[in-house]
Amino acid sequence: MILLEPHNVIIQTTLSEKLVRPSALEVQFVDYDDVRFRLSTPERKTVVLLSMNIRCWGDLVKHGALDILKREYGSLVKDTAEPEFDVSLEIDLDQVPSDPEARESFVKSVSLLKRNALAAPFERAFQTQKELEASGSGQGELMQIHYRDEEAIYVQASADRVTVIFSTIFKEETDRILGKVFLQEFVDARRLPTIQNAPQVLYSSRDPPLEIRHVPGLRDTDDIGYVTFVLFPRHFANKPLAEGAISHIQLFRDYLHYHIKCSKAYMHSRMRHRVSEFQKVLNRAKTEVATGERKTVSGRTLVSR
Amino acid sequence: MDNFRKIDIDQFDEDVLLETELYEPYPLDPAQALDDAKQKAAAVRSSLSKGDIPGALGTILEGVPYGPNVEDAKTLTLQTLVTILNSTKSSDVSNIVKALSQDQQDTLMKYIYKGMGMPGWGDVSGSVLLGWHEKLTEAAGIGCIVRTLTDRRTV
Amino acid sequence: MSNTLRPYLAAVRSTLTAALTLENFSSQVVERHNKPEVEVRGSKEVLLNPLTISRNENERVLIEPSVNSIRLSIKIKQSDEIERIICHKFARFMMQRAESFIVLRRKPVPGYDISFLITNVHTETMLKHKMVDFIIHFMEEVDKEISEMKLSVNARARVVAESYLTAFNS
Repeated sequence: MILLEPHNVIIQTTLSEKLVRPSALEVQFVDYDDVRFRLSTPERKTVVLLSMNIRCWGDLVKHGALDILKREYGSLVKDTAEPEFDVSLEIDLDQVPSDPEARESFVKSVSLLKRNALAAPFERAFQTQKELEASGSGQGELMQIHYRDEEAIYVQASADRVTVIFSTIFKEETDRILGKVFLQEFVDARRLPTIQNAPQVLYSSRDPPLEIRHVPGLRDTDDIGYVTFVLFPRHFANKPLAEGAISHIQLFRDYLHYHIKCSKAYMHSRMRHRVSEFQKVLNRAKTEVATGERKTVSGRTLVSR
Repeated sequence: MDNFRKIDIDQFDEDVLLETELYEPYPLDPAQALDDAKQKAAAVRSSLSKGDIPGALGTILEGVPYGPNVEDAKTLTLQTLVTILNSTKSSDVSNIVKALSQDQQDTLMKYIYKGMGMPGWGDVSGSVLLGWHEKLTEAAGIGCIVRTLTDRRTV
Repeated sequence: MSNTLRPYLAAVRSTLTAALTLENFSSQVVERHNKPEVEVRGSKEVLLNPLTISRNENERVLIEPSVNSIRLSIKIKQSDEIERIICHKFARFMMQRAESFIVLRRKPVPGYDISFLITNVHTETMLKHKMVDFIIHFMEEVDKEISEMKLSVNARARVVAESYLTAFNS
């Protein structure tokens, strides 16, 4: 598995299961970026309540997340969310379409809850870009999404492009150096002829890029890195393309860190192997200890007490 | 009273072993040693210009400075020696070290280790020294290294 | 490259062989103590001259001999940041398992990446030439391992970046 999937597997499997066999339910689980979910059946077995707590809910609402969720889920979105959560969907299992294909796509769309909430600023940016292109110039609002405690996504539309900037923290030095290697490859990979149409990637550590330099409260330490994606209109020309780009770019941070951890795990298993090889070589140096039974002259076995 | 447990009482012991008791002191004082080293360096240069490497080595490896206080002379001697090593063809090394006396071989070994102990210093090149080390070990054996380890008269 | 590696390893081998002449030796400072003199540094007459074997500035071996123990420290080649962290991780990984590598020291000597402490007990229970073989084998393999790991990290990074960016085209 090289690419991460945008939907939540727990929602998908639990919901499909409950659709077949409804029963009382109470599950709490998490997704990337400290997003918390709760699936429960507070009243009846057939009414499932799915609630989500997401750190940057305030930012998202500001950029139209509610509209998007209403568009995607319609009347499922409850007016007031469950306490301690930001948004709740009420799913009546009896109302779900029974046709297997329609049912599957419904479950899939519910499991994309987090993705759809995060899609708001991107959709707005794509929209703004179209308007700006028509009017010829100008810049859209710089939208900030503080999706983790110290990391944020910045989205800004211009007349000819949409700029997406990720700030990411590398907690330890190993991560920082591996991250640098990975990000350098992102920058270099565009030289390949097959992916020359991919968005342009820029990478800087420590110094924030020009677009967000005026934002207050940016950290100025070595462990922070900024990755800029420049999306051109061709990347979101039609609906499926735009949807794909949004799902994909949201997961960039998780994708990067996931692969850094995988590299470390790989290195670790390699070292384990190598060290056991060394151990064998060292053991060859040990002299054989005679362990055979020792006998006295009369043939009795010598036993140590 | 604070540091009463930290006082090194062994230094007041009459039987304590001093650095100077481990080996014969070097006979010359620092200035003389430096003069001596300079003279040898000049002699070596003239031998080298004639292409006489065994002669040059023989000159420099006799009566080398050792012990404390003669750092300048030691450095100069090492410098001179390294010039000789660098200007020797690698195919000749084997025969040259075989022709040296045991004392000379030991001294040469000491200087090779000293040279490797200060990497990035002057024109000391690891590969040249390693080449000489290999040939010298072939000719003089492990015993030569053991004598380098144990000889207190460090160069 | 390998043409200086061979004399380098040969020099380490012969020096180590020469230095591994150890005997049981009780401390003459503290009664009923029998400690590696190279670590205790109690009496100077049992400590011998430390020797350095260096291939270049970044690769060297320090051998500190004494009457009943020797300490061998290795500085491993690290040409860039990534090699540095891999080397650091590898050395740490080994040193955490020091009790199974009986000759390994838990902490490297300052200025070096990994240290071994060989005492007379080890030379009595193990074959000396095999022990020397082990050290040489370690030095050979560790360089190879580090460069292979670096290559694999780079290769992974490339695949990761390419597959991420390719997905934008679909």
